Amino acid sequence: MLLILVTLVFFILRVIPGDPALAVLREGASEEQLQSFRVAAGLDQPLHIQYLKFIGGVIRLDFGESMTRNVPVIDEIKTFFPATVELALAAMSVTATVGIFFGAYAAYHRKKFSDYSIRVSSIILYSIPIFWLGIMLQMVFGAQLGWLPVAGRLDAGNTPQTTITGLYTIDAILTLNKELFIDAVRHLILPATTLGLVLAGIFIRLTRANMLDVLQQDFIHAARARGLKERVLVYQHGLRNAFIPIVTLLGLQVALLLAGAILTETTFSWPGLGRLVVDRIYDRDYTTLQGTILFFALIVASVSLIVDVLYGFLDPRIRY
Amino acid sequence: MTTTTPEAVPAGSEWRPLVDSDIGIMRRFFRGRRWYGAEWYITVFGALILVTVLLTTLLAPIIAPHDPNEFIGAPFTAPGHGLQALLVRKGESPIRAGDDLAGDHLAGKAIGTQRNKNGAVWTKEKGIERRRYNKQEEMIAALERGEVDIIFIGAEWLDGVLAANPGLEMVQKGIGRRYWLGTNNLGQDATSRLIWGARTILLVAVMSALFSSLVGIPLGLTSAFVGGKLDKVLSLVLDSIYSFPGLLLAVALAAMLGPSLINVTIAISVVYVPTFFRIVRGQVLSIKENTYIEAARSIGARPHTILFSYIFPNVMPSVVVLFSLNIADAILTSAGLTFIGLGLPPDIPDWGYDLNKGHQYVVAGHWWMITFPGIMITLVAAGFSLLGEGLSEILNPRLVKS
Repeated sequence: MLLILVTLVFFILRVIPGDPALAVLREGASEEQLQSFRVAAGLDQPLHIQYLKFIGGVIRLDFGESMTRNVPVIDEIKTFFPATVELALAAMSVTATVGIFFGAYAAYHRKKFSDYSIRVSSIILYSIPIFWLGIMLQMVFGAQLGWLPVAGRLDAGNTPQTTITGLYTIDAILTLNKELFIDAVRHLILPATTLGLVLAGIFIRLTRANMLDVLQQDFIHAARARGLKERVLVYQHGLRNAFIPIVTLLGLQVALLLAGAILTETTFSWPGLGRLVVDRIYDRDYTTLQGTILFFALIVASVSLIVDVLYGFLDPRIRY
Repeated sequence: MTTTTPEAVPAGSEWRPLVDSDIGIMRRFFRGRRWYGAEWYITVFGALILVTVLLTTLLAPIIAPHDPNEFIGAPFTAPGHGLQALLVRKGESPIRAGDDLAGDHLAGKAIGTQRNKNGAVWTKEKGIERRRYNKQEEMIAALERGEVDIIFIGAEWLDGVLAANPGLEMVQKGIGRRYWLGTNNLGQDATSRLIWGARTILLVAVMSALFSSLVGIPLGLTSAFVGGKLDKVLSLVLDSIYSFPGLLLAVALAAMLGPSLINVTIAISVVYVPTFFRIVRGQVLSIKENTYIEAARSIGARPHTILFSYIFPNVMPSVVVLFSLNIADAILTSAGLTFIGLGLPPDIPDWGYDLNKGHQYVVAGHWWMITFPGIMITLVAAGFSLLGEGLSEILNPRLVKS
């Protein structure tokens, strides 16, 4: 499956017209310059040789060298990846909190007014363009109220002395740097809320559907018959049992999360992989683009795999 | 003894159940409310939004007050602000700043306006004698000659004109034609761009959904129906596209294809082909096992008869629902693409592009540039989602359990 994706990415980027040599060196480059660039980037070789070389590289996680910057693509990815991870994790926690709470609430109040209003608002929430929500939050909390910063990961001039994980918040905790931590969190709030809220729209629905299944099972009726409080019933007995499929679904939303991250990163000038892709598109930096897009695919595939395995582990009834 | 013959019963008195054809289509429509409950409201609400937007789209040339690409006024005019100012000769003002301009302040005065440019509506409302001039210079010269007492001028020219003609002064500004939703950074009318933008986004979204369904549905049908190696290969290829972040794929495609309406449509439709394929394939696989298919096969129906007369009609309801949800998704993807700055050339009015421009001025406080396009995108996408949601419950009560 990955091989097919690799092939697709390669051909989509190569077959479509446009001379990368010309795009990189800009207009006015001499024919010799163009030719030497092509030789250096391996673009003078026949397509199938380029393809085989590329596949060979990918297997060794070597995505080649950036066409516009003389650094290996994998190094570029390493620089930008932690920011995306930080954003994704923060957004996911927002999604999970909002989604599980409202989803469970709607499921318990099934076919009542609150259920319908939660459902309709989840549809509307999901219909909000992610970047627009981002801009509106920027405008209200950044520009008008001035509470939170609107761009970047840290204030200008504030750089972490040591990078351990690359996630600034976690680095700050590890190095016990309170100032850095506060700064990083302040920058994280708006992007994470934006991405998290929009995804919560889907997640509310998923939670609700799963909770409905669980709440109709016999053990819930039995627990109710024993006289358990409704709150304990729903949020402890019910939610705990609905939790496993919910977590699985959360894991499977990674593709969506990454797609959303591209727009969120563009909106908030967040230096992550999404921004890397958007920036390099303008340069026609094929190798970086290929590498990054493939890296995205790798993440999605591996997260799905991990979730599948975890699912079997968490719920021993599942067998493959 | 009388025997009851059928003729003896007066016509129309026998009891029979009220059937659909007895009541009008509107009554039937509203009866659905009781039958389907909240889903009816969701569907109708979604449909209402869509009908409104669709009407706007179709009537865009009539409703839109301006050409969406014309530079009509000063940039960054806030919503509801008039763009014109009144100029008079110094010291001879028939009106003063702060006059409400109602009543007979202007009675008997002549006002100069520029043909097709400004002041027409305003002077008509006030009922003042109006002379029209083709050029701004002619109008100013007429004022200086005393031909008219007062002239109407666009606020964006004000400073230049006052500097060039020291004999004139401004008595009132912020009047005349108003821009409901303000103007953007280039001085284009935001209202008109909003109305024309609906056309662009609907065109792109509906066309791309149509393209992906035209490719995805036949692929799904044949793949599941034929089975075997073909099914394996097709599923593998399309599933690998499906597992990929859709926006990223669209971004890559749009970037490589270059900006144009048809390219952005293609880029988006490629992303959603696997969705149609998967749903249709899954449906066909389950329908194929039904007894009536076996029965059809046993009476010797040809494969394509089975496929098109027995299987396809049963796939239709989910396709309709999917189509609606898909358009909602395509709208968001298309807006995302143009927001990044890909996909459409700048002369096509588009909400995503407007948001991109507005984003650059968000810190300056020009809120109207981003608020309205965003609301419209949300509204249209939500309209299609709600319609799809509601329809899925109404058409396929078994399919969606939630």
